[in-house]
Amino acid sequence: GIPIRTTLDNSTTVQYAGLLHQLTMKARSTVRDVDPQNDLTFLRIRSKKHEIMVAPDKEYLLIVIQNPCE
Amino acid sequence: KSCQTVKISTVETAAQSHTSRDAGVQTDQSKDAVQDFQPEVQVDYASLLAFLQRVEDAVIKELNKNWKSRAFDGFEVNWTDQNETVLCLHTLSYPEAQDQNLQVTSVSWNATGSVVACSYGRLDDGDWSTEKSYVCTWNLDRRGLNPQRPDLVVDVPSSVMCVAFHPSQPSLIAGGLFSGELVVWDTGRTEDPVIWRTGMTDDTHTDPVYQVNWLPDAKRRNHSRLLSVSTDGKILVWKEERDGRLALAEGFAIVAQQIPRSAQLKKFAWGEAAVGATSLSFSHFDPRVFVVGVEGGYSLKCSTAAETLALHRTGSSVPLRAPAELAFSPHGGPVYSVSCSPFHRQVLNLFLSCGTDGQVHVHSMLQPQPLLSLQLSKKYLFCVRWSPVRPLVFAAASGEGNCNKRLCLIGDVHLFDFEKSSRKPALSLKQAAGERPVYCLEFNTKQTRLLAAGDAAGTVRVWQLSSDFTEQGPREMNRLEQLASEITD
Repeated sequence: GIPIRTTLDNSTTVQYAGLLHQLTMKARSTVRDVDPQNDLTFLRIRSKKHEIMVAPDKEYLLIVIQNPCE
Repeated sequence: KSCQTVKISTVETAAQSHTSRDAGVQTDQSKDAVQDFQPEVQVDYASLLAFLQRVEDAVIKELNKNWKSRAFDGFEVNWTDQNETVLCLHTLSYPEAQDQNLQVTSVSWNATGSVVACSYGRLDDGDWSTEKSYVCTWNLDRRGLNPQRPDLVVDVPSSVMCVAFHPSQPSLIAGGLFSGELVVWDTGRTEDPVIWRTGMTDDTHTDPVYQVNWLPDAKRRNHSRLLSVSTDGKILVWKEERDGRLALAEGFAIVAQQIPRSAQLKKFAWGEAAVGATSLSFSHFDPRVFVVGVEGGYSLKCSTAAETLALHRTGSSVPLRAPAELAFSPHGGPVYSVSCSPFHRQVLNLFLSCGTDGQVHVHSMLQPQPLLSLQLSKKYLFCVRWSPVRPLVFAAASGEGNCNKRLCLIGDVHLFDFEKSSRKPALSLKQAAGERPVYCLEFNTKQTRLLAAGDAAGTVRVWQLSSDFTEQGPREMNRLEQLASEITD
């Protein structure tokens, strides 16, 4: 994916954009393989340090990284 | 009826390769290719706006749910096998050096993390010595590693006090000698590994070099410069010249009169004497700021951008500057090691200092008083290092000292974890079988479970740390920042 707007630094943004685009495509095909009538609406990845949220669309991808309070 | 197959024809041939060649392959450090944004991205702002308006509600709802959620409290996943114990993987030594009763003065890991080098010399001798010593390297990833036979032994005509591998070229190693010289060896060359040396010139240190560091050169990316620290009070930066010589590029001299005195510190007898520097550590976030530990027992915050000239008597080819900006409150004895935290991002950069009073001080660069003073042991502490992976962990090497009015030499490596306790070490590893102080230690930044420690018996022990020392917990950075700010007034 090509980053359009970002609040992070260049290199991190490019990294996230590329990697998450691929992951989103994979997630979407997983959902549709199980049930062709279904489709991916939202993707959340929780890691030790934060949570990554991806809102997918036909042309765009919105990626939000949040530090949840525990 | 019978049937029979047609005669099958067979042919025998043999094949063999005639010539073979050995070639070594090593990956180079990849250049960080950061692609910039393509500036002319054709964006249809109207549809972008429509997209954002569509997803906005859903995302905000998830964000809000998330910070209130307690669903994942205490939920931890173990991806790797949890290693519960700390074990000593290797005990490396060079018998010839041990026969001469030489001690390990310094250890260093190379750029790839697979080779450990140690320097032999003496730390307890006060006299000028011209005895030969060695620098030995072992490749731990090689099969058939013989702990008593180093892969490479370099004979050095004088005691080597410190070594440092180049941060990106895995075969270059620099060493500082008792005579005040610096030498750079290339371990890839079989005949004569020496590639650069300072020689004995007017610029060379007049006292042993206790620490040598490689500095990335701002102008040319692949070249580095060498920095040496010595008890003659000078901190010199060397650059490579064509004929295998190291020439002085710039330098600093610490003179007692020029140390900034803080009103909070007691007045010591500051004369005109040169202040012997024993150790140095650069800040990981501002490459011009560094911390120096001195024999007088205190640490100094210094800057490479300092302009004032040092009041130094002997002439040198490049004018020496006075770098000190702030003096921190002293220990009860000489400071032998300082280490800046690679994690603390804010302005109040944390660093550790340790000395012969057995204490480790956690300092912030903003104030002279330490944030925390830990009495780690009653023995001298020779080396302290922050862990490269866990912001709350550091290791300290201890040695001789007076316990119960008796001189005891048992050396330990203490591992301290602020998460577990802020008063005493989480784990103390007994280094040597006999009673020998541990003089140096280094964490391996590439294979983060390994820690190398060298002692006075001439052995280097490579310890494998357990998972709780190498895996970062989720809230560690916050805990570190909390620690840093809770004691500042």
